[in-house]
Amino acid sequence: MDKENLWQAVLAQIQFNISPANFSTWFKSTEIFDKQGRIVWVSVPNAFSKEWIENKYCKLILKILHNLDEEIKEVKYCVGKTSSKAPREKEMTSLPVFGQLEFQEFKIDKETNLNPRYTFENFIVGSFNELPHAATMAIIKEPGLIYNPLFIYGGVGLGKTHLLQALGNEIVKTFPQKRVKYISSEKFTSEVVSSIRNKKMEELKEKYRTLDVLIIDDVQFLAGKEKTQEEFFYTFNALYEKNKQIIISSDRPPKAISALEERLKSRFEGGMTADISYPDFETRMAILNFKTQERKINLQEDVLSYIATNIQKNIRELEGALNRLVAYQKLNNQTPNLEIAQSLLENLIISPIKIINPKKIIQVVIDFYDLKEKDIIAKSRKKEIVKPRQIITYFLREELKCSYPFIGKKIGGKDHTTAIYSYEKIKKEINKNENFKNEISLIKQKIYS
Amino acid sequence: MKLLILKESLKSGLNIVERIAGKNLSLPILENVLISTKENFLNLTTTDLETTISWWGLAKIEKKGKITSPVKFLSNLISLLLKNSVDLEVKNSTLYIKSGNFQNQIQGFDPEDFPVIPKIESAPYIKINNLQFIEGLSQVIEVISSTSTRPEISGVYFNFQKEFLKIVATDSFRLAEKTLFLEKKIDKEYSFILPQKAARELINSLLEKKGKLSIYFNSNQVMFEFPMTETDHPQLQIISKLIDGEYPNYQEIIPKKYETQFITIKKEFVNQLKAAGLFSGKINEVKLKIDPEKKGMEIFSQSAGIGQNQSFLTGKVQGKKTGISFNWRFLLDGLFNIKTKEVVFELSGEDGPAVLKPIDDPSYLYVVMPIKGT
Repeated sequence: MDKENLWQAVLAQIQFNISPANFSTWFKSTEIFDKQGRIVWVSVPNAFSKEWIENKYCKLILKILHNLDEEIKEVKYCVGKTSSKAPREKEMTSLPVFGQLEFQEFKIDKETNLNPRYTFENFIVGSFNELPHAATMAIIKEPGLIYNPLFIYGGVGLGKTHLLQALGNEIVKTFPQKRVKYISSEKFTSEVVSSIRNKKMEELKEKYRTLDVLIIDDVQFLAGKEKTQEEFFYTFNALYEKNKQIIISSDRPPKAISALEERLKSRFEGGMTADISYPDFETRMAILNFKTQERKINLQEDVLSYIATNIQKNIRELEGALNRLVAYQKLNNQTPNLEIAQSLLENLIISPIKIINPKKIIQVVIDFYDLKEKDIIAKSRKKEIVKPRQIITYFLREELKCSYPFIGKKIGGKDHTTAIYSYEKIKKEINKNENFKNEISLIKQKIYS
Repeated sequence: MKLLILKESLKSGLNIVERIAGKNLSLPILENVLISTKENFLNLTTTDLETTISWWGLAKIEKKGKITSPVKFLSNLISLLLKNSVDLEVKNSTLYIKSGNFQNQIQGFDPEDFPVIPKIESAPYIKINNLQFIEGLSQVIEVISSTSTRPEISGVYFNFQKEFLKIVATDSFRLAEKTLFLEKKIDKEYSFILPQKAARELINSLLEKKGKLSIYFNSNQVMFEFPMTETDHPQLQIISKLIDGEYPNYQEIIPKKYETQFITIKKEFVNQLKAAGLFSGKINEVKLKIDPEKKGMEIFSQSAGIGQNQSFLTGKVQGKKTGISFNWRFLLDGLFNIKTKEVVFELSGEDGPAVLKPIDDPSYLYVVMPIKGT
């Protein structure tokens, strides 16, 4: 007789010796979970059941079991964990009604660091992100074997993190036994720092090298952090050799990340590199439609198209604009028309233009190439300084329409002819070289973000 | 059973144990209190199968025995008695009560049907100053939400570290953390999640009582024990099951730095917030604007059907100028638990968490999320 039948037989007999109320209270969710020779282990749902059964029915249960199976001489009880743990209820996905924000960290799975909010169901695919999306789809079928590593890059607020997290969540769902870990490179850095301090380097190595899928977000923040890069490099190699999937995201292509070691750059380029560009108008409309449905509100078509026309380069901003309209609707109980929408979104749409100035352009460019301001002003003609200097010239002319003599002064007292030459050179280069064009558009985006 | 006990003593005991007993359709005996004798004590016990409360009081025992009786009924009756001592006797499973001119008989139930209370056999893990412990617990308890979709955060988190104990509660919109420094270092660090109901019972029964609270636990239960003033014998034991699960990594949500800091008089903050609350309508939203140049904070609220409110609160401002919206009730809950005259209010951007804390006192922290602004 197997364990299940044995216990059913016990229950069948016991019910005649106990009141129905007591029977249903104390014997609910009990079972035999182990039988070793002469000892039977019974699991009970809580400590009260254990005390009750042990004190009042121990002899009776033993007698019944002994009659059924002569071998059994002893019954032991323990409070079981398996039966008491109810399956976790599905998280409510609806957004809080009044815009009250929650601690997002609580939704995050402690083991994988993934946020269940990000899935492929709410990820919209358009021509701008077709390639990375297709690559992630292929990875879900066979993690570690096809595109390894996968390197995804693109500007701010275009859905890199969403894609990465959705991929992680999907892998966890399809291969529950695989160990997945999502981590931002900033957090990785702080983990490395704290394990150096606490002398727990070995634990950290162990933790990352036993993973099946490692997802690193915003890898450009590793730039300039040598010890972390070294640690990451070893981890990367260890995983790569074992055919474990590695997925990386950044705001620019590997080549353009300055202060990143060559060996890391070349490894990042070794697998598949895919970029997310800007969504076209139709995709932006699709995203807005999807988001309004998710929030269960109705907005007129012309309002949506007003948002989609005016916010072009950032999906997060699209969502922000929509949230503003939703809040207006909740507060005033009326759907905003085009006129109201225009005035509500005015500062959101117009503000970026106000904030750019020569100082900001110079700052962004030198940050991008990890230089110092004095390098630009210096007389040096080193290649790695000349190029950023020319790019600054280009932006000052193109975006701010500065005069050439003014630009010359800004970049270290150069002649206005130098400025003209630099501007023309960059302009030509953009038309000739696709990679360079990407780089320029990334910098431009940073200037305006 | 036959015994004599002081009326006030019996009444206070019944008041403590009766709260936990309630209607239970499948097990009606849970509406009863188990009355029994032990040495020179009368013992009262109630349980709802998750939390158990046991109380002892000195009594003159003439004959040992036990019985169960409907606790609310008994408690109502005892509070009506006028004379200072009560005579309890059990004959033929009936409870006879005699006091002054009163004589009552209450039909009892078989004490053998009462649940057997699971004991925790281990030695006490820690002894802690009860006044501080209960005060700390009551500073966080209001934050817990009663929804049970996430069992891990439906209780109070106790985290014992070497030199201090952290008591934490959250409802995922806000979080309160109290740090208590331990008088004696402990060897083994430990943490558990106590169900909200048991935590409330602890506060109800032990508020403002001086003494040492002993804490015992094993893998699935915890017991809090408070001694009698007259003898070493326990006066009260509260036993509860623990919540199975892992508490979220709450440390991560506590902002490490701020963008704007505002220090002001707590009482005025509370006043202005209450006024703004009157005008905030159904969604409870108040808008705050902090400006370093104006050296203060503007509080604004409005609702379509009522009107609008505007007030200005002076204080010390550091950092950036900012505008942010909150549910005023959430802010008020935090302010109420701050005991100092001045309060520190720290913000990290319009979507980021805000922190309320007492000035010059790092032991209490209240983190609250804003409302997405309009």
